[in-house]
Amino acid sequence: MGDALYLIGLVALTSALVWVAGRRLLGLQTSALRPALRRLLEWVGLTVLLYALNLFAGFALVLLLRKLTGSFVSMYINTDATLVLLSAFQALVFQWWRAESE
Amino acid sequence: MARRPPLRLVSILGALTLVLFALLAFTPAIGAISRRLDSVPEPGPADAIVVLGAGSTRDGVLSDPSLRRFVGGLLLYRRGLAPRLILMGPAYQGSPMEAETRAGLARELGVPADAIVVEGRGLTTRREAALVAQRMGELGGKRVLLVTSAQHMHRARRFFERAGLEVVPAPVIEHSPLAQSPDGRLELARIVIQEGLARLYYRLSGLL
Repeated sequence: MGDALYLIGLVALTSALVWVAGRRLLGLQTSALRPALRRLLEWVGLTVLLYALNLFAGFALVLLLRKLTGSFVSMYINTDATLVLLSAFQALVFQWWRAESE
Repeated sequence: MARRPPLRLVSILGALTLVLFALLAFTPAIGAISRRLDSVPEPGPADAIVVLGAGSTRDGVLSDPSLRRFVGGLLLYRRGLAPRLILMGPAYQGSPMEAETRAGLARELGVPADAIVVEGRGLTTRREAALVAQRMGELGGKRVLLVTSAQHMHRARRFFERAGLEVVPAPVIEHSPLAQSPDGRLELARIVIQEGLARLYYRLSGLL
């Protein structure tokens, strides 16, 4: 539990510093934090959806490649942690694309 | 241009994901789940010790799980629980054969060459089970001490039993359920979820 409390405390501290800096140096409004947090939830949700899509497509692709080529392709390639990061990038681009289209 | 509606359901999914993330990373919940799903070691005498493959790099360095399984198998051999050590593990994309690398280590650590069986043709657990069953048919005996990770044991055991072998589970700890750090817990969660998906896939396809 010590590691968890340390990390949460650290991020809480730097978040407070960024909040003060944002308000004082950049003139950002505290009221705009709520929509920012809503966008965070949207981004996380989109990441999960795109990750699920990537996993599903990946499993299907591996099965197809095995059938077409007759050679072995491991299913485990789809569970590489990098796929989560790439899905997060996809989600971010989708979110920005959507925002730019408004 | 028309304003698009907020992605309400997506936001709810995002909120649930963050709650799940906090539970998995910052509480011992995943350790408790893993302990419920993991196999408990119950080693006893057998005709052979089978050490399943777990990967090596292109320069022949065994992965951490591969080394842990190898050491687990070696300890069982040293305890005199079986006269043979069947070492598994194929060549991965141009790497030396994992089973051969392990066999070299076993010989250097004093295991007689005639007690070592190298089997590097299995690319999946199912194939490894079939190959071991074939080898055991040639060597004699049906009872094997199966060495793999605690999370993987349930699935592996089923495959080996289906291949006609009598299995004595000898799981090794690759990802401790007592992981304290958040990233250790997230890694454990990844393994538990991955193994859950694998079991589901094999069940749905009628292979397990």
